Amino acid sequence: MLSRVADAVFWMARYMERSDNMLRSMRTNYIASQDEIPDFSWQRWMDWLCTPAAQPQVPPTYRDALQHILLKKENDTSVLINIIRARENARSVQDYITKEVWQCINNYFHQIRSQETENLILFGDPVTAMDELLRESTLFYGTVDMTMSRGEGYTFLNIGKYMERLLRNLDIVELKINELESDGNEVIQWKYLLYALSGYEFHSKYYKNAMSTESVIDQVIMNTQFPHAILYCLLQVERYFLRLEGISVPEHFREIQFLLGKAISNLRYGNIPLADVHHVKEFIVHTRVEIKTLSSKLASLYFGYSN
Amino acid sequence: MSFSDLLNHYQSNPNIWDEMCSRGEVRNHYKVFFNSLSHVTPDELGRKDELAKKLFMTQGITFTVYSDGEGIEKIFPFDIIPRIITADEWKVIDLGIKQRIRALNIFLKDIYHEQFILNDNIIPAALIHSCPNFLREMVRVDVPYDIYTHISGIDLIRDSDGSFYVLEDNLRTPSGVSYMLENRNMTYRIFPGLMPKNNVRSVKDYPDLLLKNLMAIAGRQTSQPTVVLLTPGIYNSAYFEHTTLARLMGIELVEGRDLVVDNAKVYMKTTAGLKQVDVIYRRVDDDFIDPLVFNPNSFLGVSGLYYAYRKGNVAIVNAPGNGVADDKAVYPFVPQMIKYYLNEEPILKTVPTYALENPDHFAYVFEHIHKMVIKKTNESGGYGMLMGSAATTEQITTYKKEVEKNPRQFIAQPIISLSSVPCFINGAITPRHVDLRPFALYGPDGIEIVPGGLTRVALRESSLVVNSSQGGGSKDTWVLND
Repeated sequence: MLSRVADAVFWMARYMERSDNMLRSMRTNYIASQDEIPDFSWQRWMDWLCTPAAQPQVPPTYRDALQHILLKKENDTSVLINIIRARENARSVQDYITKEVWQCINNYFHQIRSQETENLILFGDPVTAMDELLRESTLFYGTVDMTMSRGEGYTFLNIGKYMERLLRNLDIVELKINELESDGNEVIQWKYLLYALSGYEFHSKYYKNAMSTESVIDQVIMNTQFPHAILYCLLQVERYFLRLEGISVPEHFREIQFLLGKAISNLRYGNIPLADVHHVKEFIVHTRVEIKTLSSKLASLYFGYSN
Repeated sequence: MSFSDLLNHYQSNPNIWDEMCSRGEVRNHYKVFFNSLSHVTPDELGRKDELAKKLFMTQGITFTVYSDGEGIEKIFPFDIIPRIITADEWKVIDLGIKQRIRALNIFLKDIYHEQFILNDNIIPAALIHSCPNFLREMVRVDVPYDIYTHISGIDLIRDSDGSFYVLEDNLRTPSGVSYMLENRNMTYRIFPGLMPKNNVRSVKDYPDLLLKNLMAIAGRQTSQPTVVLLTPGIYNSAYFEHTTLARLMGIELVEGRDLVVDNAKVYMKTTAGLKQVDVIYRRVDDDFIDPLVFNPNSFLGVSGLYYAYRKGNVAIVNAPGNGVADDKAVYPFVPQMIKYYLNEEPILKTVPTYALENPDHFAYVFEHIHKMVIKKTNESGGYGMLMGSAATTEQITTYKKEVEKNPRQFIAQPIISLSSVPCFINGAITPRHVDLRPFALYGPDGIEIVPGGLTRVALRESSLVVNSSQGGGSKDTWVLND
């Protein structure tokens, strides 16, 4: 397939996954701020999710923060902007993706720009608005699954999706560790981390015992049955990447394969001390660098970017 | 109030050919359609109209207007009531267009080779050589199967006596065919069951016919030639059409930056390395296809493409240089071309055209300016035109000065009052003016025209300008079976 098309499909998937991930986090944060964590710090999330220049000067209320992170056009990293970018990418490969996938993204775009969504965020029940948007996101994944051919495009789409999920989760886990280090409240913090990753039920079923730092970190990093775990995502990236062997320039394929294998081995055999959050943070930083190298290699070897 | 009542209020102008009514009576070919709607209320029609708008929006069937910021995509306004053409009318259109395309194609071959038509003084040589779209680079270039006009969109209008006139031959990169296809998809959602009942001919073959023709002109000895559609990109006003056609034909949609020329062969950059391209259906204008030969500032084309083309290593569709044949100053000579090349009488009429280069014509036109429309010879999309009937004295004076500067660039035609059709606008059925653009495909097996076309509607009351960039819309076009 065309390098440009592969690139656009890859980024379309990344922006869609990023939006999904942000919505799930914000939904969880909002609920936490209404109930168990009354002095919830929105500022920390704003710092992570927004470019400094786009931030309002005064400390944000929960509605400000939600509006800013989800809907602000001026905020270059808002979910709205993500969806616009996903749609632009989809538009530039409209002939390649199926009509259904395009319509899904287009509907999502109209939904997030609707007055109804904004009213709910500003004056009504924000959870309803976010649930509606998450529904669009889920529809997208379902439609991709039901309609896209299992060719190269599908492969790059999935590589994009899992790489984005991986990077986002590294960030969220790091952010949670920071929150924990400053605010304490271990059980509550871990609980909301798991909520945000749709992993709370998984934890109680899989680990059975009470929640501990060790079990939570094991779940979000090492557990290959948990679809948001770092290792799971990496293995998925590898799984899809290996499908490219037949069509790739052999040297290019081997280069990426090596980087992927190295990252997976580091995780598997790196003996990460799961209970020691400080070491976990170091590991997160290291893995992030590895993934970014991988991403830029992919761009130059498969998407036709010059180095 | 029912649909029949709505219809009773339908007031068509008796001096204009109305497609539906003749002296207050509904014409036969509209009867089946209207009888089946007789019990539909205006509210229901309103809901159908809403449904159509929603479908266009969710499917992203849009065109782009050139402006900055958000909201650059607009829905092409769609009117839900189809325009109906009888089998007999279609026969005339079909034969007339085929005749015209054959003559124009021979003209292009001639004008870029021996120029018999100039030597025999049928067309003044000065007219051709002063045409900015006459490409010297195309002289003595042989094109596959001698076909230049692979895809053309001929604009037809109807005068008050009902006869068809050709208004323009679009032989470069005519657009609108995707709306023909999408409008049809819309109709069966809005009026379930009505198309089989009316015995409407299908337009679905278009992409298959086009792909067949594109594959047939590939030069390389291969059973699976690589055909691509070259688009200027997502900011082009017809981008939706490019994606639709690429998808329907199952070919790659490429931008200039996806292609590269090496050793006079064209390749596209893929994840698996370079892949040779055999046929390019380009939707980029001549001037932009190769910065080494034409406009050096173009980012939309491919350096070296023209060299590869001349070597015969890649086919370009439509052929470069077609602009000389659809120049509006060359247009009045098409009947002579038909006689000269084919020895036939033209089937479709041509609108009388005054070349403003000619001082007599110039004087005549400005004496009768209120009955005239002045157009630039190389503009399309309704840009740069003056409707004498609607212009103020001041506008006319300014325009006249403009014409005096370069009269070769302008022609004038008497205003022809386009036929009208019923449209559903603001809860009422009212007449609006339309034209018709059928699409003709010319391949090694001959010329084929899908029975249908794009009917463009001037949505403003009594307006005669149907261009989408000037507030025009469209409707589905039904060609009935015998």
